[in-house]
Amino acid sequence: MGKTEQTPPEGAPQEEKYYTYNREIFYHFDKEKGYTRANDYQNSSNQVIIKQSWDAADERLQEVRQRVLAGIQSPVAFFMEKRLLEVPMLAAYMEIGAWRVRRHLKPGVFKKLSQPTLKKYADIFGITVEQLTSLDFIKN
Amino acid sequence: MESKTTIINYTHSQAGHCESGATSNLFKFNGLDISEPMAFGLGNGLYFSYIPFLKVQYAPMMSFRNLPNTVFKRSTTYLGIDHTVVKKIKDPGQAMDALDRNLENGLPTGLQVGVFQLTFFPPEYRMHYNMHNLVVFGKEGNNYHVSDTVMELPQVISYDDLVRVRYAKGPFAPEGKMYWIHGKVAQEIDLKPAIAIAIKKTVKEMIGIPFPLIGVKGIRWMARDMKKWPKKHGNEKASFYLGQVLRMAEDFGTGGAGFRFIYGSFLKEAGEIYNHDGILEAADLMGKTANKWREFTYAGARNCKNRAKPTEDYGHLGDMMLEIAASEEMVFRKLEKIKL
Repeated sequence: MGKTEQTPPEGAPQEEKYYTYNREIFYHFDKEKGYTRANDYQNSSNQVIIKQSWDAADERLQEVRQRVLAGIQSPVAFFMEKRLLEVPMLAAYMEIGAWRVRRHLKPGVFKKLSQPTLKKYADIFGITVEQLTSLDFIKN
Repeated sequence: MESKTTIINYTHSQAGHCESGATSNLFKFNGLDISEPMAFGLGNGLYFSYIPFLKVQYAPMMSFRNLPNTVFKRSTTYLGIDHTVVKKIKDPGQAMDALDRNLENGLPTGLQVGVFQLTFFPPEYRMHYNMHNLVVFGKEGNNYHVSDTVMELPQVISYDDLVRVRYAKGPFAPEGKMYWIHGKVAQEIDLKPAIAIAIKKTVKEMIGIPFPLIGVKGIRWMARDMKKWPKKHGNEKASFYLGQVLRMAEDFGTGGAGFRFIYGSFLKEAGEIYNHDGILEAADLMGKTANKWREFTYAGARNCKNRAKPTEDYGHLGDMMLEIAASEEMVFRKLEKIKL
C-alpha cells in the first residue's frame, strides 16, 4: 500500500515524455474477440494530444511573463497562468468578485493591495508574498 | 487530531472510468458482483453534449458523459439499493468529520474531487477538472487510504490535501460531495428491470431530446463546426480546439471513445442476460462505432503533430465525425425498437 513510484518502471516506453509510470485500463473491441480490456500505457497518439495542450499552456505563460516584465500586467496574471487558473476560478478561490481580480491584474492596482490580500493570493499560488511581489521569481 | 486507525477491507481494482469504476467497486464491496460496464450502463453514463458558446480552458466545452454522480445515483436507484448522496457540505471540517464517521462505521465512501491538487495523480492529468471520483476506505493517523481507479495501486493522501481537493473551485465544484451504499446487499437482485429502464433512458438522452446540441445531434453540430474552424479561427487555434476535442475523446476519465467501448461492453452483458440477439447486435455495432472514434483520434493527433500544414484536413475529420454520428444513431434506433 504505497505511493506509485514516480520513476518509469521496467518495460515502460522510455523515450516518451508522458505517462510512463502509471498504466491504465483501456477497452478494446475486435470483430472476432469481442470486447476486451487491458492494462496499458497511454499510446503515442494520446501523448501527442496531451503534449500539445501543455505546450499551449507554456506558450501562454511565456506571453504573460513578457507582459508582466514589461509592466503591462501584474504578477497575479503570471501566477494565475502558471497555476492554469482563469479569472472566474481564481475569483472563486479568492472569494471576491471576478471584476476585482481583473483589476488586480493591473500593475498600478496591484501595488496598492493590502498584505492580507497578497497573502491570500500567495497561498492560492503556493508561494510566499515576497515571491509574489518581487519580479525576480518571474524573470527566471 | 486523533490517531486512530481504521482500514476497511476494500478491494481496489483499476477501471476505465473513475465514477463507474468506483460504483462497481462499491457494489462489489457490498456483495453485488456488478462489473464496471454494467455500472456504467445502468447509470446512463453515455451521453454527448456540445456547448460551443461556453469556453473551458480556452476551447469550446463538450462532454461525452453524463453529469457527475449520475452513474452512482441512477444505478443504485434502478437496482433499488439503499444509498445516500450528500450533495453539498458548506464546512470542510464537517465534511471530513462525516467521512471519518462513515469509515468508523465500516462504510467505504465515494468522493467527488478536483484533480488539480490531487497529490498522487499523474502530473500530466492535473488540470482544473472537478468531476473526478475516488473512494476513501481507511484512515491512519493524519492520512487517508484512497482507491482511485485511474491508479494501479491504492494511494495515500493527507487530511489537508484531501480537504483541498474536496473543495476545489471552478465549474462543477465538488463542494464536499460524498456518497455511499448502506451496508451489504442481502437478497439476490434481478438486473433485468434495471437494464430495461437504463437502456430506455440512454436511448432517450442520445436521440430523443429535441435540442440540437445534445446526443447524436450534438455530434453532428460539432462535426459541422469543426469543418469551419480553420477558416474561422486560423490553423493555430483550430488545432488547439481539435486538441481539446481529442483530449476529451481520449484522455479525461478514459475519454469519450473509451465510454463507447464501455457502453458496448454493457450492451453485450445485457444481451447475454436477456439472451436477446437484437441487443447483442447493437453491442457489436457500438464496438464498431467506438473503433471509429479511435480512428478519428488517431487522424486528429496526426493533424495536431503537424499543425502548420495539417495532413488531414478538417473537412475530412468533420466527415469522419458525421459518419460516427450516423453509426451511433443506428445503435440507438436499433435499441429503441427493442421491447424489453
